[in-house]
Amino acid sequence: MTRYDVIMVGAGAGGGVAAGVLAEAGKRVLLLERGRELGFRPEGRDHLRHQRFSRHGHNAGPEIEGNPRVAVDLDGQARVVRPHEDGYQNNAAVVGGGTRVYGGQAWRFLPQDFRMASIYGIPAGSSLADWPIRYEDVAPYYERAEWQIGVAGDGIASARHWPRHTGYPMPPLKVNKQGQALRAGAAKLGWETVPIPALINTMPYNDRPACIQCQYCVGFPCPVDAKNGTRNTFIARALATGRCDLVSEAMVCTIDTEPSAHVSGVSYYDRDGELQRVSAAVVICAGGAIETARLLLNSASPQHPHGLGNQHDQVGRHLQGHYYPAAVGLMAEPVYDGVGPGISTATVQFNHGNGGLIGGAMLADEFIELPVIFWARQLPPDLPGWGQAHKQFMRENYRRVMRVTGPVQEIPSPDARVTIDAAVHDRWGIPVARLSGATHPETVRTAAFMFERAREWLQASGAIRVWGQPPGLYLSGGQHQAGTCRMGDDPHTSVVNQWGQVHGHDNLFVTDGSVHVTNGGFNPVLTILALSLRTAEHIAQTW
Amino acid sequence: MLTSIHWNTLRALMNRIIPPDDFPDAWEAGVGDYLARQFEGDLGAQVETYRFGLEALEAEAQAVAGKGFTALDPSTQDTILERLEAGQVLTTWPAKPTYFFHMVIGHVMEGYYSDPGNGGNRDAIAWRMIGFTGRE
Repeated sequence: MTRYDVIMVGAGAGGGVAAGVLAEAGKRVLLLERGRELGFRPEGRDHLRHQRFSRHGHNAGPEIEGNPRVAVDLDGQARVVRPHEDGYQNNAAVVGGGTRVYGGQAWRFLPQDFRMASIYGIPAGSSLADWPIRYEDVAPYYERAEWQIGVAGDGIASARHWPRHTGYPMPPLKVNKQGQALRAGAAKLGWETVPIPALINTMPYNDRPACIQCQYCVGFPCPVDAKNGTRNTFIARALATGRCDLVSEAMVCTIDTEPSAHVSGVSYYDRDGELQRVSAAVVICAGGAIETARLLLNSASPQHPHGLGNQHDQVGRHLQGHYYPAAVGLMAEPVYDGVGPGISTATVQFNHGNGGLIGGAMLADEFIELPVIFWARQLPPDLPGWGQAHKQFMRENYRRVMRVTGPVQEIPSPDARVTIDAAVHDRWGIPVARLSGATHPETVRTAAFMFERAREWLQASGAIRVWGQPPGLYLSGGQHQAGTCRMGDDPHTSVVNQWGQVHGHDNLFVTDGSVHVTNGGFNPVLTILALSLRTAEHIAQTW
Repeated sequence: MLTSIHWNTLRALMNRIIPPDDFPDAWEAGVGDYLARQFEGDLGAQVETYRFGLEALEAEAQAVAGKGFTALDPSTQDTILERLEAGQVLTTWPAKPTYFFHMVIGHVMEGYYSDPGNGGNRDAIAWRMIGFTGRE
């Protein structure tokens, strides 16, 4: 049987970084990814089948057939769902994971985001908690992620909110018309704005070219490879050492344990459906908050009847993503100028300090919206759904409409969770994830407040009409999924310690959004990347 | 499979969902081609629903206006569709008429506004109409 120093399960944000760090530290690394390699093909710009709009399928996996989950609604009704359907909470399953097709907003969490329970108290019924580490512990890794993977941003504006030692390696994205309108609106309101930091080259960097400002970004691979993810940075670095084997279309079914709590390796199905067993000194789970929890739960053994790391029934709980209350504004003048990716301007004015509310959200402008998404998601509720009036509205207003939204920090609920549905199996015969519960009602309250701020911003920016409505209670996860193997000092209330090491298993680690105690009011990927750097360096030094 | 009679009804229906002005109607912009392609793929399971729904629409038009749907003038067609949308039907429908109508609206909009690579939106005409500057 082949033996490695480290096996990574999942080649996304967390697994990709860890592979690069550990291979460069001299380890023999196996990087397993259930998805495929997704290259750029011009015909791959299918408006109905991509990560942002999965009307009839996906560009980034998993395959529509053979990868079901079970979604349980608030009334307890369970249904089997496919990857492109509502309730699945999908994230990309390709080499590079979500970083292959994301929009690449590169936010740090704020210092307050690591101390939510201390600042706000713990609302009844929630599992809100502080992180076992502070912003200062993560800051050096944020900085290295920004420089090594490549972030464009405004260091001076950022430093007004985040303690930081350096600026960004590249200047921020160009401000297009909608960004200009929103900056003027914010000035009227007395709100401060921040250029959105993005994992996109605004100049040649890391031997790859600058962004060509096309109208397709989020949801698609970049045609000129100017979008920075793990595939074109840390995974490429890992492969360049000659010490990393990347195996795609490899579906891990169990983490294997010795009679002691020591992990011996993993078993996976290869692309031909053959079961393979590989052993390693260390195993790292990085399949995303849903698949990592599923894998730990599916790895039960006589010594660990409830799954690995789950002796206190914590694995899979506190599932969270982000609520996105969105307001849509009709402007007097066109704000579309076709300058992609489209995002440029945000405010972090309402991430904290909102009276009696817990936390808040960053609010930002949007990526260029594809026409069919504009049709599906942005039309006013009183517009006739068909006929000449509908066509007329599309004709006159596609270029006049813009949307403001942002990720509301969720207040976690222990009942929002991933369990195993033993009755439903995927194409390999592995029991699938069952998703149930919902966020805490405090999240809904904060989202309603943020919706009003989004509306206010659009109105101040010249909108002659604003529509949309704040979201109700539901389970979120999706591309920002987090929280299911939360980090903590106490094994009774957490799954991993501050190094991502699973309590009770010395050589089993987690480096994805699962470990987030709370998920910030920001896109979480930079935090996943930074924490993976921190965990991987710890492993390199201690194993 | 849909017969040419079904396709005639579908053509009339989609052209009320996206009617002509100085930019083409749904059929002219290739939405029929989009649907024909989708019926062979992702919408294969919906072909039956289309068949029964289109037949029901013709029967409904006969009951309301004494002529088949395709034979009616546009404004009478619109009246029938407005009634359909409100769930007001005289005949017995195999599925909820509102469900059928909304399903067709969705597919017609997809064909008209999505990328030409999907078979509709001929020469990216819908994108020129609204001012989206993305290349395919």
